[in-house]
Amino acid sequence: MGIGPSTKETTLHHFRDPLLEVVSNDQDIDLLGVLVVGTPQGNMEKHYVGKRAAVWAEVMRADGVIISSDGWGNSHVDYANTIEEIGKRNIPLVGITFNGIQGKFVVTNEYMDTIVDINKSKEGIETEVVGENNVNELDCKKALAFLKLKMRGERK
Amino acid sequence: MEGVTILRKLVIKSFHINNVEFGNKTAIKGNNCIIDCQKIIELENSEDLIKRINIDIIKPGDYDKYVNTIMDIIPISAKVLGSIGEGITHTLTGVYVMLTGVDADGRQMGEFGSSEGILKEQMFFDRAGTPSKNDYIIHFDVTLKGGLPFSRELPLAAHRACDRFIGEYRKILKQKDGRESSEVHEYFDKVRHGKKKVLIIKQVAGQGANYDNFILPNEPSGIMGGRSIIDMGNVPIIISPNEYRDGAIRAMT
Repeated sequence: MGIGPSTKETTLHHFRDPLLEVVSNDQDIDLLGVLVVGTPQGNMEKHYVGKRAAVWAEVMRADGVIISSDGWGNSHVDYANTIEEIGKRNIPLVGITFNGIQGKFVVTNEYMDTIVDINKSKEGIETEVVGENNVNELDCKKALAFLKLKMRGERK
Repeated sequence: MEGVTILRKLVIKSFHINNVEFGNKTAIKGNNCIIDCQKIIELENSEDLIKRINIDIIKPGDYDKYVNTIMDIIPISAKVLGSIGEGITHTLTGVYVMLTGVDADGRQMGEFGSSEGILKEQMFFDRAGTPSKNDYIIHFDVTLKGGLPFSRELPLAAHRACDRFIGEYRKILKQKDGRESSEVHEYFDKVRHGKKKVLIIKQVAGQGANYDNFILPNEPSGIMGGRSIIDMGNVPIIISPNEYRDGAIRAMT
């Protein structure tokens, strides 16, 4: 599985992304930027790019990371790996992704303890309705609130 | 150290459209957006892999029609001053482009599930990534040549043709007097000293065909000048908040 119609983030979504709006408008947060990372085919490459993402977060001295995934299933392999690399560096993080009853993580690790599920269909499944299971403002507010709690607890 | 340092300013001016119609010339007149019927043939001929293009105007609420799989929803925006992430951008509100695609053999241009069907059943309106029920939709439907292996080139050809179509409006938007805009939004890349430093990571698709993203095109939400995340080896690339909100990503998913 990859990106189904109901979870895919269209170009319009990126143009007015609620995650960016919620985080950048919070007066208590210094938003560093948006790191875009792809999902390569092979496992070696998946680990390579995931680790690079985590090193970026570390060298930027990020106090926290919100990681969202466009796609699930196979993409969750990349997702879990990147989360693990960030977690190992003691950087608090919160994930946003599609789970529902279908998107059970193919691999997990101890750092995947705070994940916001963006499923919105009643059946809990990836549907063929464009935009149905998209990240919305409430998901982002939830994620940022969780991250604030984690940053308070885990650092300093 | 406390306080805020402003690094950069981006101004997005929107021009509201409340009517879309066909005509003899690509134009934005007041709140009217006009589509040139003659241009369609030119767009068809611009790509070898394209067999046919059909452009349709979908009025607000008029969703009882069959559409091929929805490949993307694209805003119509143009850089007026500066490059992506700074300066001035003009954008249209009230109208968005919906790109759909199929090949001559009837194969939908979608992976991992396609969204063809009656529009009202296939689109959840009013999300960040979809039009609202008050918006016009310019439906750009591409039929690609049949009998070809399903490769990146097919959806890419459809996206390119659609980008050329939007390019005609970009030329007009660049000439628009900013004082006529319906809304003006100012955005700042800034440092909030002493506050918790947060990084947003967006994991995007990068595996081929409909599973690609173009980063930092020349024009907001465009194709030309953008680099495919696949071709960049999927390695992380940093985008400033203003670059991101100025259309730094063109989703091919």
